[in-house]
Amino acid sequence: MASIDSKDIHKIIVACDAGMGSSVMLASQLRKQLKGQQIQVEHTPVNSIPADADVVVCHAGLAARAKVTAPDKVLISFQLFIGDPAVTKLVNTIKNGGTVDA
Amino acid sequence: MTEYTPTVQGTGARATIQRFGGHLAGMIMPNIGAFIAWGLITALFIPTGWLPNEDFAKLVDPIIKTLLPILIGYTGGRMVHGQRGAVVGAVATMGVVVGADIPMFLGAMIIGPLAAYILKLVDGFIQDRTRAGFEMLVDNFTAGIVGGGMALVGLKAIGPVVEVVTDWAGDVVAWLVGHNLLPLASILIEPAKVLFLNNAINHGVLGPLGVAEAVKQGKSVLFMLESNPGPGLGLLLAFMFFGPRLLRPSTPAAIIIHFLGGIHEIYFPYVLMKPRLILAVIAGGAAGVLVFIVTGAGLVATPSPGSIFAYIAVTPKGGWFGVLAGILAATVVSFAVASALLGFGRGADDETEETGETSTEPETSSVVKEA
Repeated sequence: MASIDSKDIHKIIVACDAGMGSSVMLASQLRKQLKGQQIQVEHTPVNSIPADADVVVCHAGLAARAKVTAPDKVLISFQLFIGDPAVTKLVNTIKNGGTVDA
Repeated sequence: MTEYTPTVQGTGARATIQRFGGHLAGMIMPNIGAFIAWGLITALFIPTGWLPNEDFAKLVDPIIKTLLPILIGYTGGRMVHGQRGAVVGAVATMGVVVGADIPMFLGAMIIGPLAAYILKLVDGFIQDRTRAGFEMLVDNFTAGIVGGGMALVGLKAIGPVVEVVTDWAGDVVAWLVGHNLLPLASILIEPAKVLFLNNAINHGVLGPLGVAEAVKQGKSVLFMLESNPGPGLGLLLAFMFFGPRLLRPSTPAAIIIHFLGGIHEIYFPYVLMKPRLILAVIAGGAAGVLVFIVTGAGLVATPSPGSIFAYIAVTPKGGWFGVLAGILAATVVSFAVASALLGFGRGADDETEETGETSTEPETSSVVKEA
């Protein structure tokens, strides 16, 4: 099971089908929530998740594809685009320290 | 995993279809800005547009028949083999563009990646066999030869075949419209949409066919089959009034993002957590399509994203009634069916407990277990 200490997270990738719609929205939300942290939040298509990503965030409906493109990354999959508990938990863990695992 | 959280395991086929569709949509979507430029120029300056202007209208044909297919072929090539793939993809696309009477979107989606793939094979074969100092010479000429050769193949082989296939698909659509069967398309489109095949269907299939129709008839209903924001709006409204209490507060924001922002993905989870609601969006989608056909509505270009603003921007002059009526019909029908399926709020409190369980325990709902 992949896991990463919150201190080692430098880049979060939010992935969606085209990398242009829902991922952009969620990435900008995350960026606001993580303001002040030294963490880069970017959005990409799920077919081209970059190799330097530390954590990948994507909808559960696309998780199977994210696993193919980024098999060894910590993958956070969520159900709701607004206020999903998995995303909230990720933000809290980063802010308070701890281990993020998938 | 509870019944509210569809499992992500065992969806290999779905992921494969999504991935293939993602490639199709991935060639179109980065270029949507160019499509919008074309749509705006068309809507404004053609003889029947808002500000008819002969000089500006000269832009319409070259953009749709040459620029847009080449952008698609370029992007498709880049997906396969980087910048070199993009260049040969663009050159090869010229082959299908020249001599075709229709916008060669499908042809570009085939030949762009194909030419890039051939160059990739050639590069792999030649790389180890190239003497030091000759790399640039070899690279430039392999790209030139593959690109030029594929342009010839496109002109003589791929172009004519795609033209026949596009004509044939157009006939099928015309037949469906003529027999009032097009609303049945919603039975396929709406479920596929919430499985995240929305871009693949709209940009990979319906868009290219719609453009071919729009060039001939000035507008096409095909742009509206998948992108109608009505069914999703009706569903979200039903959730706002009658959904599980825990979910109600998030729906107004979702409605704004969906209907005004055009990000339809926002409503997919609401269907996925209560799969029977798929009936509501199917009914809404079909009602919308029926109204579009009865009123003869159509758009000049793909409304992307599927926001009401994008719809208004690509509606031809004088066509607003049918377009807005179809969106409204889809909203009302979807809302009515979804409300009924949600029991008009009865039992919402029982369901609060069930959804409450998934919402408060991220472990069960939202973390993908290692397969």
